[in-house]
Amino acid sequence: MKLADLQAQFQSAILDGGDSVLALIPNSPLESKETLFGVYRNAYVLRLIGILEHDFERLHTYAGDKIFDSLARAFIAANPSHTPNARWYGQELPEFIATHPETAGYPALIAIAKLEGTLNDVFDVVDAPVLALAELAAFAPEDWARLAFLPHSSARRQNADINLTEIWQALADEETPPAVRRLDTPEHILLWRQDVMPKLRVLAPEEAMMWDEAAKGVSFGVLCEMLATFDNPDEAPLRAAQYLKGWIEFGLLQSACLAKKHAKKK
Amino acid sequence: MAAKRDKSSEVLPMTIGVGIHKPAPLGFGLGLRPEHYSDILDGNPPIDWFEFISENYMIPGGQPLRMLDAVAERYPLVQHGVSLSIASTQQFDEDYLDGLVKLAKRVSPKWVSDHLCWTGVHGVNLHDLLPFPYTREALDHVVSRVAYVQERLGRPLCLENVSTYVSFNESEMTEWEFISELTKRSGCWLLFDVNNVFVSAHNHGYDAKRFLDGIPADRVIQFHLAGHSDMGTYIIDTHDAPVRREVWDLYAMALKRFGPVSTMIERDDNIPPLAELVDELATARDIAERALGQKFPARTASIPTFAAVE
Repeated sequence: MKLADLQAQFQSAILDGGDSVLALIPNSPLESKETLFGVYRNAYVLRLIGILEHDFERLHTYAGDKIFDSLARAFIAANPSHTPNARWYGQELPEFIATHPETAGYPALIAIAKLEGTLNDVFDVVDAPVLALAELAAFAPEDWARLAFLPHSSARRQNADINLTEIWQALADEETPPAVRRLDTPEHILLWRQDVMPKLRVLAPEEAMMWDEAAKGVSFGVLCEMLATFDNPDEAPLRAAQYLKGWIEFGLLQSACLAKKHAKKK
Repeated sequence: MAAKRDKSSEVLPMTIGVGIHKPAPLGFGLGLRPEHYSDILDGNPPIDWFEFISENYMIPGGQPLRMLDAVAERYPLVQHGVSLSIASTQQFDEDYLDGLVKLAKRVSPKWVSDHLCWTGVHGVNLHDLLPFPYTREALDHVVSRVAYVQERLGRPLCLENVSTYVSFNESEMTEWEFISELTKRSGCWLLFDVNNVFVSAHNHGYDAKRFLDGIPADRVIQFHLAGHSDMGTYIIDTHDAPVRREVWDLYAMALKRFGPVSTMIERDDNIPPLAELVDELATARDIAERALGQKFPARTASIPTFAAVE
């Protein structure tokens, strides 16, 4: 038999349970070939479960061993790995949980998986410089209204319509997580990497709006105008400056530049 | 999606490793594991060198690469992969090879290794080190693939024997005959995993000494030592426990046959505190000193110094 055919049969026996490859394998002096080949079958599933447990530790804690194991096995059965690097194997797990009939009705599982998957990405995303306050000072005061900001390469935004961060924190503290509550207004969550540490913040609605608009390249002057519609208009520039200062201190911005005038909102 | 352009069937020089001097022994090392980063960088432990898993650092950025760079400043490194799939009949993943080359350029490891196995076909990766029959066809295939990878890396590849649980009726030669022929034809180095030899010998019912005696001594540049789980009728290579007495005995025999060879303890699971592995490494050092009748003092890490800032 050609090597290619043998490898195809061997792989099929692991993935699909076919036994034709056993005809090519002798018993060992002490053990049957069925048992010995079973080592490979078991190792395949257990190794992938181990990869998912490593990458989704909080999800595992929340779901418990039994549910996580069942979920992982369903994911593995539906998703053979196509990556040479195990780091990327679990990338589709959050989406799988959101659409799988047995888990789609559990918003906490979906939200925790999504948050944890995003934090994994934040952890090893490409390095990038961080904007320093001194760099902003280099811009003339009359240019500030035209300043536009580039979010740090690690920054990710997501909203949750349940009490996700409360559950997340309880899991981090190894405490019993609270019951899932639907929220009237979503939690605005910002994730990023400060130096090498993944971080997570919950933003107030106003700051979330300003961040989302800033991330689109909207200039600082326009951002101030938008904040003026949110709360006390007289204090809008001060609030905007405070948010901006916080973003710089947290390492959330990569750079600033002067926005083109035509990009301004009317 | 990875670009697929396999050139392994093209005519390539097969001798990139032939005639190149065997790298000098590095002493006694450990596998670099994230659990130990701070103990390594803060504690300057008596470890001569580290082996890192290629795939763990084939990522865009962040802490792992930062730590790898920091360890590389102080210790000799060896790069060890798990997904090269050298014996697969599937075309190479060129993006993966690009990543290997890029990483090797970044930290200048003393050598680059992977396993004599395959990990999948038809675009699937089973994330396991799978066996294949030792046939002339497989030998020709692997020799041409090694030549291709050596061209891509610009240096000889080092290949490790894996633990196997099944053999094949089709095999035309023993594993050690296959390895011996492979090194002659491709010029690759060998990473001799002592535990894996012990495991495979038990599982297939041959004497590990026959394996040892069949391996060309001038090609072995590294030893792995690890623990395993004995299931009675077979042994599983778990790499999650201390090295067993029988493996230490085989290690002493290997030293006598191969001479001083860079030795490391490879723990992949149930990672203990660093101090525990350093103690186990001291056992390896003691055995080597007794087997070879010479002293192997632990090296001191070269901690980078920084110029005073006025």
